[in-house]
Amino acid sequence: MVFSVAWHFLHDRGLAEETAQDVFLSLHRNLADIETPAHAAFWLRKVAVQRSIDAARKRQRRPQVPLEDVAEPSVRPAPGDPMLGGMLRRLIATLPEMPRMAMILRYQEDLDPAEIAATMGIPLGTVKSHIQRSLGLLREKLERRGVGER
Amino acid sequence: MDWLEQELADALARKEPAAGFDGRVRARLHRGPRWLAAAAAVLVVVGGGEAWRQYRGELAKEQVMTAMRIAGSKLNRVQVQLKGTEQ
Repeated sequence: MVFSVAWHFLHDRGLAEETAQDVFLSLHRNLADIETPAHAAFWLRKVAVQRSIDAARKRQRRPQVPLEDVAEPSVRPAPGDPMLGGMLRRLIATLPEMPRMAMILRYQEDLDPAEIAATMGIPLGTVKSHIQRSLGLLREKLERRGVGER
Repeated sequence: MDWLEQELADALARKEPAAGFDGRVRARLHRGPRWLAAAAAVLVVVGGGEAWRQYRGELAKEQVMTAMRIAGSKLNRVQVQLKGTEQ
């Protein structure tokens, strides 16, 4: 969970590993505050989100390419095609940091918007808006290429 | 969940770190924080700089004292000569 959040957010295996290690070292320092396994999971997810965002800000070398400008694949992937998965990951990587993290928590961690709001420390309405807007952009981008038509 | 959301769930499936992650975390835990080593290095540099400044200060003070002693003895000689001239 921790490494995966960092990996999908940062798209850099080395940096994701370092970030995940930092999260577990921090857990070790704060073990006395952890009350239940559910609390530990919430805590780990929350700190993984914060550390991943911090790492991305420190790195500041993520290509700032708007979603609309991402190159279209020359071959049209169909739903269920592994190529579509790669394309979706690349598209998500181009989202601004907060919508990107909201999408990762929604579809990797299977959290509902209220849980995402609590984890990220932002209002519920903002989370819903990030997800709806990101889905709309992805859908538009894919459907323009005929992906998703059955 | 529609087809896009299903594709997103597949595309963002959990990834595992490289084997040995636990061991690497434990190794960092025993190694201690990096800031401690960095702080120690800074203290050595700052401490060394302070000692060097103190040494230079002492040296300068000695030079000033020597210069004053020389100036004092010359002044005495001049005064003696002046007294001799007056008499």
